[in-house]
Amino acid sequence: MIPFLLRRLVAAIPVLFGVSLLAFSMTHLTPGDPVKIMLGERATAEDVARLRLELGLDRPLPVQYLSFVSRALRGDLGTSLRSGQPVAREIGDRIGATATLTLAAMGIAILVGVLLGTLAAIQRSSAVDALIMMIALVGISMPTFWSGLLLILLFSLTLGWFPITDGGWSGLVLPAVTLGLPAAAVLARLTRSALQEVLNQDFVRTAHSKGVAATAVVARHALRNALIPVVTIIGLQFGNLMAGSVIVESVFARAGIGRFAVNAIMARDLPQVQGIVLFAGVIYVVINALVDVVYAAIDPRISVR
Amino acid sequence: MPTPFRNFFRSLLAALVFGSFAAAQSGQNTLTLAYGEEPDPLDPQRTSTAVTGLVMRYAGDTILTKDLTGAYADGLAESWAASEDGLTWTFRLKPDVTFHDGTPLDASAVRDSILRALDPATQSPIAGSLFAPVTDIEVVDARTFRIQLESSFAPFLDNLTDPRGAIVQAAAAVELGADFGRKPVMSGPWRVEAWESGERIVLVRNDDYAWGPSYTRTGAPRIERIVFRIVPEAATRAAAFEAGEAQVVMPFPVNDVPRFLDDARFEMVSFLRKGIARLMEMNVLVAPFDDVRVRRAMNHAIDASVMVDVVLEGRGVQAYGVLPPSIWGYWEGIEDYAPSYDPDAALALLAEAGWTPDASGTLRKDGAPLTFTLLSPPFDDATRSAQIVQQQLAGIGVDMKIETIEFGTLLELAQEGTHQANLIGYTYANPDIVHLWFHSSNIGTGLAHSHFDSPELDALIERSRVETDEAVRLEAYADIQRFVADQALWVPFYINDNYIATSASLEGEQVHPDGFLLLNDASLD
Repeated sequence: MIPFLLRRLVAAIPVLFGVSLLAFSMTHLTPGDPVKIMLGERATAEDVARLRLELGLDRPLPVQYLSFVSRALRGDLGTSLRSGQPVAREIGDRIGATATLTLAAMGIAILVGVLLGTLAAIQRSSAVDALIMMIALVGISMPTFWSGLLLILLFSLTLGWFPITDGGWSGLVLPAVTLGLPAAAVLARLTRSALQEVLNQDFVRTAHSKGVAATAVVARHALRNALIPVVTIIGLQFGNLMAGSVIVESVFARAGIGRFAVNAIMARDLPQVQGIVLFAGVIYVVINALVDVVYAAIDPRISVR
Repeated sequence: MPTPFRNFFRSLLAALVFGSFAAAQSGQNTLTLAYGEEPDPLDPQRTSTAVTGLVMRYAGDTILTKDLTGAYADGLAESWAASEDGLTWTFRLKPDVTFHDGTPLDASAVRDSILRALDPATQSPIAGSLFAPVTDIEVVDARTFRIQLESSFAPFLDNLTDPRGAIVQAAAAVELGADFGRKPVMSGPWRVEAWESGERIVLVRNDDYAWGPSYTRTGAPRIERIVFRIVPEAATRAAAFEAGEAQVVMPFPVNDVPRFLDDARFEMVSFLRKGIARLMEMNVLVAPFDDVRVRRAMNHAIDASVMVDVVLEGRGVQAYGVLPPSIWGYWEGIEDYAPSYDPDAALALLAEAGWTPDASGTLRKDGAPLTFTLLSPPFDDATRSAQIVQQQLAGIGVDMKIETIEFGTLLELAQEGTHQANLIGYTYANPDIVHLWFHSSNIGTGLAHSHFDSPELDALIERSRVETDEAVRLEAYADIQRFVADQALWVPFYINDNYIATSASLEGEQVHPDGFLLLNDASLD
């Protein structure tokens, strides 16, 4: 297990290198002079020169890159142009809201997705199966800015069950459901097809014929085998959820990374944008590494390799 | 643990625990105001956003204010006077004013605050330009100070009422550095208590407050807390309002207005935008608009009242000149003075200029059809207005093409002056905006996109700035409005209404003509 983990971490290094290079080169790839873009049309030549110096844009590119990486490794992502606050602190202030939302959405997606998918697989070709697959289709197709508003309309305005913009646990429910729904739909469809395949295999028939209870066959034997592709998709869905938080956080007025990123881009606050890109990239890489570890835990064959 | 990670866990915890805590903490005597924008620093001298300006209306005090009729009134200063030449202004402060940290707000504190705004190191986007005409500030005694201007500049008084010109505790600003923008030390009826990034700004009542403007409650306000809840999505803002999570929503999304108009639980306050929302500028350097008769014909041929009905759905009024009725200096006579909708008059003027209809009705001069390209920014109301104009002009045989381009590019092209016409709009606090639109010094750099270089118009504009007598200034602005209408540099379209929604539980709020709610005397049921 440990060597596997180490190998996995080493494999992540080139990816992280690419991420840092991408975040760094954003300054230079955007058309126009980044300093002039940041300062706006009324900037004087002195302002431009001063900011260029402050950002170190007068030095050769490789030097700039190395200093960017070495500062980032020490947790220094630069200073925001708008607020004058360290970008790392600004990200730190907001990551809690996004992490809670993403984790809650993932929880809902796994719970609802795997449960409905299993139900549909067992009740194959029945009315239940058809209904679940229809719900899944709607869930995948509906954009979150729309489903979020519908949920607000039903559960907040009509039924009055959940607050819209208040914090706390009850305020987490609607955004988490909104964000988790499309992921739940994907997982339900995947679980259904994976489980159906497994349920047709010989060892399941053997278990049945040995007299093992039907629920135990599904829960203990079939589901464990069916879950491997599901876990892969869960890992990939994490990225989608983080991206989706941009919209959901705006709809539910949550102060998270997603909205922070949008505002940073709108305000052309390059240090903020760079910091967010780097941070999001690292999180994505880490989560994928974690998924591989979970893989190994579920399927012993993987760690043997 | 490195700071970002420590913060991560701290804020993770905070998100879980504090959310419910904050919800429980609000309640009685807390006014929640849902606003669409995220603020940049809450330092009035380092901000460029409207939302920070709004917070400053409650947390800060300006040297002067405008009363509910829009006339200049007391602020921190109880009286003020100008010298004969308009270059020296003397202000007398109200007694015993203190900052939120208890230090006295006296004449030298005012001087320090203004000097900080002017200091290049502050990099002030707006406050710096508000005080730009100041050359010297002299502290006469603890309550009296004198401001020297480099030239007589009448709009200066208006600048003193801008919330970005609010007086800050300059020593605290030095001490706190960048953190001053998180928790500014000022002197207003409420003070900034907390700012949870991206989520809310909490203001708490300043119990020592006793220097409010004379046209409202001068003592400490009744409402204990004002919470600015940042809700970027317009539909969510409306929903949060309906669910009672916010008592004030501004700006209120126009689409949702009809839904709440007849609802007794809510009140809708509307006020006219301080500016012309949409207008067509014509470039006098380029044919066919180098001929004033063609420009006047455009004014006769376009019926802007249609746009009020269709684009604004009736929520606004038609514009007739360069200033709206909502800005001081508006000349009422412009409604009758400006060329009115009259297609026959348009055709007559065009015929005089040599444009006559051919067999199919297309206007031609020397065989060439009358055609031009209108640059339009990619905003929905601009697109719809442009289409209406296109249709109306087609009716008299003018072929107008619409080119929709990104707004920054549009400004660049309009400054260059090779274009024919463009759509644009503005919002501004005072009539000095005419300088930016028409003074020849703003050709190529400012907003003088008509490229009309006229010493006569320049002189009128300069007079409006130098005169300190208000009656004379009003006359100067009327002259400017007439002059621009005579030269038909614009076709003004319309001015939209802005909406603020308030819950019926809020009482005693006053709607200020500058587009915010004065809450000093307000209370919650």
